[in-house]
Amino acid sequence: MKKLAVIITTPPYSNLSVTALDYIETALKSGIELIGVFFYQDGVLHADVNTQIASDEFQALAYWKKLHKEYLLPLHLCITAAEKRGMSDEHNKNIHPAFTVSGLGELVELSTKADRLVQF
Amino acid sequence: MNNTSKSLAIINAKAPYSSTAGKDALDIALIFGSFEQTVSLFFQGEGVWQLIRKQDGSIISVKDYLKTFAAFEFYDIKNVYVCQSSLKERNLSESFHIDNIKVLNQQDFATELTSHHLILRF
Repeated sequence: MKKLAVIITTPPYSNLSVTALDYIETALKSGIELIGVFFYQDGVLHADVNTQIASDEFQALAYWKKLHKEYLLPLHLCITAAEKRGMSDEHNKNIHPAFTVSGLGELVELSTKADRLVQF
Repeated sequence: MNNTSKSLAIINAKAPYSSTAGKDALDIALIFGSFEQTVSLFFQGEGVWQLIRKQDGSIISVKDYLKTFAAFEFYDIKNVYVCQSSLKERNLSESFHIDNIKVLNQQDFATELTSHHLILRF
């Protein structure tokens, strides 16, 4: 079976988030093995529990939580990028538990295992 | 980690100090290099400014990540490509702050780029 990995570098308020989530959900429903999503640059903001997005806007975090729960989708967060943006798993604890705190080594791992890596 | 090695191309298309894109791309290049993966760097559009000499980020309180480019050899990053027409459009000479940069025309730039398994853009 073909393996897919995704890297998210855009913030939750970017329209690309909607595209990324649609793409990922479609892949999962089609039986493609999604080995993980890696959050980098402004993409780490997806994991911030303190971000309140207006209720009439797209709720990216709720969607990630749903995919993580339904498909056990691994969500890897680059901690260096997160800390640069004031997010931490130790101090202010504002990283949602659906996300695994990791580093760029995880991106190397995902990219070597995946048949395709897609960036949003 | 399995041993399947894939080649990664990183496109740098942003100016060095207006955002952290260049530093974020560099961090990925160095990690892949230290995991002994093949990495090539491509500079295009405003990204070509990252190769220009005598820039000092500290003047605007930004860490000077460009000096780390000198460590590419240590990380086994051998292929650094720059788009010739991007340099010409900005009236920049082919004089860079690191050695062994290959200046390519658009056709060759595209050919090299698509010879890689993976492409990330910053």
